[in-house]
Amino acid sequence: MTAQRASSFLTAELAKFASAPPLAYRDVALLGRPDRRFTLTLRFGEVVAAIGDENSGIEVLGTLALGLAAPTAGTVEVFGLPIAELSYYDLLVFRRRLGYLPQGDGLLQNLSLRDNVALPVRFATDHRLREVDAKVAQLVEDFRLRAIAGLRPAQANEEDRRRAAAARAVALDPKLVVLELPFVGLSGRAAMDLLERVSRSEEGGRRAVLLTSRDLTPSVRGLVSRVVRVVDGVAVEDEK
Amino acid sequence: MRAVRAAARLTRAGRWVMLRVLINQIRFTALQAIVLVSFLAAILAFLVISQSIRQLGRFGAIDNLGTIMVVAVIRELGPLLTALIVVSRSGTAIAAEMATNRVMGEVTALEAMGIDPYIYLVLPRMLGAIVSVATLMVVFDAVALTSGYVAAATNGMSLNRYTSIVLRTLSAGDVWLTLAKGVFFGAAVALFCSYHGLAVKAGPTEIPQAVTRGVVATIVAIFIMSAVFVVIAS
Repeated sequence: MTAQRASSFLTAELAKFASAPPLAYRDVALLGRPDRRFTLTLRFGEVVAAIGDENSGIEVLGTLALGLAAPTAGTVEVFGLPIAELSYYDLLVFRRRLGYLPQGDGLLQNLSLRDNVALPVRFATDHRLREVDAKVAQLVEDFRLRAIAGLRPAQANEEDRRRAAAARAVALDPKLVVLELPFVGLSGRAAMDLLERVSRSEEGGRRAVLLTSRDLTPSVRGLVSRVVRVVDGVAVEDEK
Repeated sequence: MRAVRAAARLTRAGRWVMLRVLINQIRFTALQAIVLVSFLAAILAFLVISQSIRQLGRFGAIDNLGTIMVVAVIRELGPLLTALIVVSRSGTAIAAEMATNRVMGEVTALEAMGIDPYIYLVLPRMLGAIVSVATLMVVFDAVALTSGYVAAATNGMSLNRYTSIVLRTLSAGDVWLTLAKGVFFGAAVALFCSYHGLAVKAGPTEIPQAVTRGVVATIVAIFIMSAVFVVIAS
């Protein structure tokens, strides 16, 4: 299926599910064990933190939401579509509606931080080069990257890299953002600042955000709508 | 094929980014290898022609010099040596870069952004390798013909004689054959090295193994293709 056909197919499919939640895990076996199922539904504008220890299952929440891996049991629906059933090219087009900050940062090492931020805008939109540059300049400004935008990831510190990866994640103004362990190595203030910027949409509204973390600092907790504790692949606590 | 099909789906700015990657690839693969290719072409042609003149002269078969120059150097050794230089310089770099991209999670990050890694990583390298190998083969041939003349002149042959002997054997078909080999050998360098680089799964320790596998597979493919070209051309 070509990108244009895939795009119009997805637009038609998504129109059917206009009222569907941005992200829903339904009886998903996160650890591959059929007796341990995970269920979680995200609403628009909601920031949900899934916290858990190593091997609790939170490690795969991001890859399942992006369709980078398929669940062995259960379904993951994004904007109402069972994402594991989409073909490779449908998935590529579909993922442009989502923001994703992978564990670490996933920045391309041979590109500057600015070029990393520009990558999705250049490849996933049909903007003119001038429009792309203006959009990227705005993102660089918003995420306080101007002074270090020309550096390669290896030359920047962890906080700057994470901010660049976050800017890249929201470059296409997605309605849903998935952040994998975004606060590792960051101070509480930097973590709060990162989450505040990621959860705010371009029109000033709130994005739906799913973040995974080992734990949350009190400052970050103040920005989170719900905290879901995951143990052995099951949501054991869901506090508002 | 997937990379070529994917090219039709590029956005305007995406095409510009790909062009930049392509130019960088050509600069590294062709431009930075010109001196080495020219040097080896000059030495090889000088040695082959010097030895041939001496040996053929003993049998009064000096007119066969053109056949040796065109068949051995231009048709066979030139493309092979050029491709081997590109494999050793750029093939290793491509395989190592792809493997690093995979290990660092950059390939997954590209897919997560909705960017086809075959468009961004493989296609520009394939086009760059094709253009570079074809260009380097032409450079190799030009330098080899010039160096062959120097060797002939030092053994007492005039420019007119050398030119007429070589041109008697050289045909337009040799030019097309060189370009065809450039396309196939260049594609082989990029595709085999990319494939083995992207196939890495375990971690950084697998990178050198992937490079070795990519280079060995490319060399084998190039020799097999050379044999196929001989069969087709005959």
